[in-house]
Amino acid sequence: MKKFLLPIILLLTPSLLFAAGASTQLEGGFKVGPAIILITILCVFVLVGVVFRAKDTADFYAAGRSISRVGSGMAIASNWMSAASFLGMAALMYGSGYHGLAYVVGWTGGYVLLLILMAGQIRKYGKYTAADFIGDRFYSQGLRATGAIIAILISISYCVGQFGGIGLMFKWILGIDYAYAVIIGGSVVLAYTLISGMLGVTKNMQIQYIIIIISFIIPLFILTFKFDYFWLLPQIGYGSVVSDIVSGVNISEATQMFNALGHDYAMVPAPEYAMPWDPATGQTFFQWIAIAFSLMIGTAGLPHVIQRFYVVPKARDARWSVVWGLFFICILYWSAPAYAAFGKILSANPEVGKLAKDAIVVYTAQLGGVNPLIVGLLAAGGVSAAFSTVSGLLVAGSSAFAHDLYVKIINPKSSPKKQLLMARLGTVLMAVIVTLLALKNWALIAQLVAVAFSLAGVTIFPLFLLGIWWSGSNKQGAIAGLCTGLLVAIIALTYFIAGKEGVTLPYHEFVNYWLGAWYFAWIGAPLAILVNIIVSKITPETPREIRKFLVLNVHS
Amino acid sequence: MDSNQNDYHISFFKPTTAMAKWNRNLAIKLILIWAVAVFGFHFLLRAIEKPTPEEAYIKYEQVWENVYVEIASVEEMQTFAHTSLSVLGKVFIKPNEKASLDNAVSWVTYQLADSTQKVLLVEKTKEFEKIKEEITSISDPKYIETKKALSDLGSTILGLQKTDPRTKIISVELVSSEMESFKTENKDMIPVIMPTYLIHNQSFLTDFKFLGFPFHYFYSAVFLLVLFVFLCWLYCVRVDAMNIKLDIEE
Repeated sequence: MKKFLLPIILLLTPSLLFAAGASTQLEGGFKVGPAIILITILCVFVLVGVVFRAKDTADFYAAGRSISRVGSGMAIASNWMSAASFLGMAALMYGSGYHGLAYVVGWTGGYVLLLILMAGQIRKYGKYTAADFIGDRFYSQGLRATGAIIAILISISYCVGQFGGIGLMFKWILGIDYAYAVIIGGSVVLAYTLISGMLGVTKNMQIQYIIIIISFIIPLFILTFKFDYFWLLPQIGYGSVVSDIVSGVNISEATQMFNALGHDYAMVPAPEYAMPWDPATGQTFFQWIAIAFSLMIGTAGLPHVIQRFYVVPKARDARWSVVWGLFFICILYWSAPAYAAFGKILSANPEVGKLAKDAIVVYTAQLGGVNPLIVGLLAAGGVSAAFSTVSGLLVAGSSAFAHDLYVKIINPKSSPKKQLLMARLGTVLMAVIVTLLALKNWALIAQLVAVAFSLAGVTIFPLFLLGIWWSGSNKQGAIAGLCTGLLVAIIALTYFIAGKEGVTLPYHEFVNYWLGAWYFAWIGAPLAILVNIIVSKITPETPREIRKFLVLNVHS
Repeated sequence: MDSNQNDYHISFFKPTTAMAKWNRNLAIKLILIWAVAVFGFHFLLRAIEKPTPEEAYIKYEQVWENVYVEIASVEEMQTFAHTSLSVLGKVFIKPNEKASLDNAVSWVTYQLADSTQKVLLVEKTKEFEKIKEEITSISDPKYIETKKALSDLGSTILGLQKTDPRTKIISVELVSSEMESFKTENKDMIPVIMPTYLIHNQSFLTDFKFLGFPFHYFYSAVFLLVLFVFLCWLYCVRVDAMNIKLDIEE
C-alpha cells in the first residue's frame, strides 16, 4: 500500500510539535493563528452585514427578492450547511459507521421531495413565512399563531446543535471551557444577526458558502495526498481508506506513515465501520430507515428552508435554486465521510484516547499532521457553517415572532419601526433560550439538529403537503392533523428529555426505540396526514376563495 | 387548470387538466425512482445480508471452550489473546467490555510467561502504569522506551509477529492487577462481546469493491447524492420545457 517519505511528512507536520500528546493535548490552549483567522472571517461577515444591512421590514424578512438563482442556491447551501453538516455528520460516521450515512442520505434526499412537491408552489403562494402560509391557507388566526410558535420551536431546536458546534470550535480555538465558549460564540452570532438582518445575511451566505467549502476541502486534499490515496478527487479517493479500515492495515504496509502523535498508520480490521446496521454500533436497520425518512420529510418542512424560496423573484428561480443549492450542499456531503474515515484510522491507537466526536473533523486534520493554520481555517469554517445557519434560523424565528404573532395577531397597526424592534427582541430572546439549552449538551450536534427535522416533519410538512396538493384539506383537518403530530412529538421528546435527566418513565425502552427523538417523524408524519384527511372529509369544505386561489395562483 | 370552471378543486391524485396530469405523472415517476433507489436498495441489502464472522471470530470459537475451562494449550491461549486484542483494537468498545478483555489479555499473557518473564512482565507493567500517570505528553522518551519494552515482551510471549498492528495495542491493555486470574464475571462476558464486535452483516453488495469503496458504501455515500441532484435537474428541465411548450409565464 502506501509509502511516503518521512522528510515530507515532517515538512507538512509542524503540528507534530504542538500536538505531541494524547487526546487532551490535541485540544491544547489558546491558538493564535486559528484565532486570527476566525476573527478576520467574523469581521468580514460583520462588514458585509453592515454594508448590506436591512433597511426596512421587507428587507429584514425577505431580502427584497433580489437574489439570483445561483446566489440563492449558494445561500440555501450555506444556510443548510450547519455545524451538523460540517462537524456532526463526520462525528456520526466516526462513531457509528454506515449508520451515519442515513443522515447524509436523509439530508440530501429530502431536497427531491422539497423541489417536486413544494418549492415552486410555495413561491407562487407568495407569503413571507411558513406561518403566513398556514394561516392563510387554513383561514385561521389560531393556526397562524400555532404555526409561528412551531416555527420558533423548530428554530430553537435547530439552533441548539449549532450553538453546541460554535461552542466546541470556540473552545478549541480559544482554549477555554465549553460553557464560556458557548456564551461567547452565542453572543457573537447574535450581534452579527442583529446588525445585518436577512439582506446582509443572504449576501454573507454566499461568502460563507465559499469559506465553508474551501476550508472543508483543502485538508482533505492534503490528507489523501499525504497518505498516498487518490488525492485529485478526495471524495472518491477516500474509498480506499474505508476498505483499509474494513480489512485492516499491517505495520509493514504503513512504513514511515504516522499520525501527528507518532503512531503507525496501522489498525486491526474493523468491518463494523462500513457494514450496515452492525451490531457493534448498536444501531438497527429500522433506525437507519426511520432516520433517513424522517430527515427527508423534515427537510421539506423546515421553515427556514422554505423561507428561502420567498427571496427569489419567480417560481422558476425557486426550483432552480433548489438544484443549485443541493449541488453545493452535496460537495460538502460527499466530503464529510472522508473525515470520518481518516479520523477512524488515524485515531486507531488506543493511546489517542476518547476524542469528542463532534470535533473529529478538526482532530482528524490535526492527527493527519495538517498545518495548524489550515486546521485553524477548518475550525473557522466550522464556525462559519454554524453562523450562517444560526443567523438564518434566528431571522426565521424572529420573523415568526414579530410578523406572524405580533403584527398579524397582537398589534396589526404597529409601525414598521416597531415591527423591526419586535423582530430584534425576538432574536435576542431566542438566542438566550438556545444558549441555556446548548449548555445542557444533551446529544451529538447532528442528533440535536435531527430533532428539529422530526418536529418539522410531523407539523409543518403535512400542512404544506396537503395544503398545496389537496384543496379538500380544511381548517378542522389541519387542526386535527397538527394536534396528532404534536402529540407524537411531545411523547417522543418527553421520554428523551426525561431519559437525559435520569428519570425513567414507563415503557421507556420501547418508546425511546420506536419514537426516538431524532426519528419520530417516521410514524408521526403519516399519522398527521391520515388524521388531516379523515377529519377534512367529514367536516365542511374549504372556502371557495381559498380553492380558487390555489387553482389560479398556485397551480396555474 | 381551467379558470373558467365554476368550482375549484385541486387533488394530486385526481388532476383535472392535461397540464396537471402531466405534472402529477412526472412527480410520481421521479418520486418512485427516488424511493426505490433509497429504500428499495436498503431493503435489498437487508434481505440478502448474512451474518459473516471475521477470521478472528472463527479462531476464537475454536479455542474458547478450552480457554474457559482453563485446559487450553499454549497455541490456543495465544489465539484467544490475539482475538481479544482484535476487539480491543476497534477503539469504540464499552468500558465494561474493555475491562473484561483487558483482564483476558493480561491473564493469558501472564499464564504463558515463564518464571523470568513473569517477574519482568509484572515489573514492566507496573512501571508503565506509573509512568502513564506521571507524564504530561506521550512523546516523553521514558514513556516511549517503557512502552516499547513492554510491547516487545508481550508480543514475544503471545507470539505476535512484528508487522501485526496488535503489537501496538498490547502495552496499553496489560493491567498488572488483572494478571493472576481470569474473573468469572469477565469470562461470562466474553461470549457476549465477541459476536457483537466480530460478526457483521455482509453480502456480495458489501464485499464487492467499486472505485476502492465497498460497493454499498459507495452507493449511499456517493451515488445516491449524484442521483438526487440529477433528479432535481431533470425535474427543472422538464418543467421549463413544458412551460415553454404551453407558453406559460410564471
